[in-house]
Amino acid sequence: MRTAAHCSGIGLRPQHHAEFLERLPALGWVEVHSENFFARGGMQRDVLAHVCAQYPLSLHGVGLSIGSTDPLDRTHLAELARLERDFNPILVSEHLAWGSVDGRYMNDLLPLPYTTEALRHMAVRVGAVQDSLGRQILIENVSSYLQFNGSEMSEWEFLAALAAESGCAILLDVNNLYVNAVNHGFDPCEYLNSIPPRAVQEIHLAGHSVERLGTHELLVDTHAAPVCSAVWELYGAALERFGPVHTLIEWDAELPALDVLLTEARKIEHALRVCRADAA
Amino acid sequence: MRCECAVPTLRELQRRFAAAVFADDHGPVSADVRACGIDGRARLGIYRRQLQAAFARTLALEFPVIERLVGGEYFQQLAREFQAVHPSRSGNLHHIGAPFAAFLRQRFSGGPYDYFAHVAELEWAIDECSIAPAAPAFDLHALRSVDPAHYADLHFEFHPACRLISSRYPLLDIWRANQSGCTADKIIDLASGATRVLVQRSGEAIVFHALSAPEFAFLEKVSQDCSLGAALETAHGIDAAFDLGPALRRCVALHAVTAAKLPQISSHDAA
Repeated sequence: MRTAAHCSGIGLRPQHHAEFLERLPALGWVEVHSENFFARGGMQRDVLAHVCAQYPLSLHGVGLSIGSTDPLDRTHLAELARLERDFNPILVSEHLAWGSVDGRYMNDLLPLPYTTEALRHMAVRVGAVQDSLGRQILIENVSSYLQFNGSEMSEWEFLAALAAESGCAILLDVNNLYVNAVNHGFDPCEYLNSIPPRAVQEIHLAGHSVERLGTHELLVDTHAAPVCSAVWELYGAALERFGPVHTLIEWDAELPALDVLLTEARKIEHALRVCRADAA
Repeated sequence: MRCECAVPTLRELQRRFAAAVFADDHGPVSADVRACGIDGRARLGIYRRQLQAAFARTLALEFPVIERLVGGEYFQQLAREFQAVHPSRSGNLHHIGAPFAAFLRQRFSGGPYDYFAHVAELEWAIDECSIAPAAPAFDLHALRSVDPAHYADLHFEFHPACRLISSRYPLLDIWRANQSGCTADKIIDLASGATRVLVQRSGEAIVFHALSAPEFAFLEKVSQDCSLGAALETAHGIDAAFDLGPALRRCVALHAVTAAKLPQISSHDAA
C-alpha cells in the first residue's frame, strides 16, 4: 500500500481529469468518488490507473447507504471491493448516513436519528463492510437540515460511539460540522473535543451556501463555493486537537478552474506545516 | 430535549422520510422532525429538491441531446415524471437511464415527438459503450480449427463495447446537429431516411458504422447469440444475394465480435 505523509489533497472530478494528468500538480494525494469508477471499462478507469500511478489514492463512497434498514447492497459492496483490490487506496471512506428504503434510492446522504437502535445498526453494517473489504474504513459526518425528535444522543456522541463499537476511523468534514453547528445551534468546539483524537484519519474542507426559508436561514452543503473563513478557523482548532491529518478540498458543483482547488490545497499545506511546527 | 410522542423504529422513520421526499407526503414524518423555528415541511423540502436535482442532473449527463431537444426547463419536468415511475434502484446513479427510452416511447408514442424515444435509445447505447469493458479482437484464423461442416453452428460473442441501433428516423443527423458547440441551425426532415448503425467505442471515441438492412439483421442475430446459420438465414430473408464472406470479414474488421464457439462440440471451440 502506498502511503502519504499527512498532507493536502483534492477531490478529483471528471472535468479536471485531462488537465490534471497533463500537469501532474504537486499534491500529496488524490480522492475520487468510488461509484464513478465502478464501470468495467472506458476512459474513467484508464484515468484512475494513471492517477494511481502518480499519487496515493483515497476512495470515497457516496452510495453504499450503510445506515439504511434495507439489506446491505452486496453488489455495490462487491464493486467497491473490486475497485479496492485493483487500485490499493490508502483510505476508503463512506458516510454516517442512509439513502434508500424499500429498494428506492434517494442517492443522497440522509441524516440518521441518533438512537441506540441506529447506533447498533450502523456498527453492525460498518463491521460488515470492513469484513468484506478486509480493512478499516472511515466514516464521515454529514451535513443535515433537520434533527429527529427521537434522537437520544448528540451527533458527536453517536460518531464517537460508532468508532468505538465498529472499529472504524473518522473522516471529519469540518464544513459539515460547521453547517450543522449553525443549523442546529450547538458549539462546534464541544463536538471537536468529544471526538477521540486518534480516531480522526482524514479531514474534508468544502464550501456551503445559505438558503433562506421564510424568515430563517439554513446553511446547505453545496460544495459549490470556497471554504469560508469560519471553517478555516475551525480547521485550525481541529488540527490543534487531532494533529496533522490528511486533509482534502472538496468541490463538486460550479466547479472552478483546477488552479483554484490547488490554491486551496496550498492553504491546507500551510496550516499543516504550522501544526507540525507547533508539535515539534 | 425529547418529545413524549411514540418514537418510530429506524425502518419506519426511513419509510416516512422517503414518503415525504418522494411523494411530498409529509403527514407521517412531520411529528418526527424538530421544528426549531423552521417548519418540518420546509426542512424536508431541501432534501426533496436535492433528490430531484441530482436525478435530473445525472439524467441530463446521460441524455444531453434529449435535454437540448426539449430544453432545460421541460427536461427537468420530464425527469421528475420519469423519477416518479422509475426511481433510482441503486446507490450508483449511473443506472437510472436504462428505462428512459421506454418511458419516452410511452409518453410520446404516435405524436410529433415520437422520435425522442429513438434518440434516447441511441444516447443510452453510446453511454453503455463508453463504460463497457475492453475485449480482445477476434482473429478469423481461429476458424481454421473448425470443421467447415460445423460453421453454421458457430456462435459469436458480441463485443461488449458495441450496440446495434435501428430507427425509421435519421438519428445520426439529429444527434450530430445537437452536439454541444454545434450552433448551426439545421432543419432535419424526420422522413429523410432510416438509421441502421453499429455504435462502438474505439479508443476513447464513440464511432458509428452504417449498416445495410441485411448486414444489420445478420449482426442483430449474432448479437443475440444465435448461430451463424440462423443469422445468415435471417439476412437471406431480406436479401437473397447476401454474401456471408464479406459480411463476416467486415464484422471481424469492425471488432464487433470477440470469439467464436461451438456450444455442443467444446473441443472445436475457437477463439
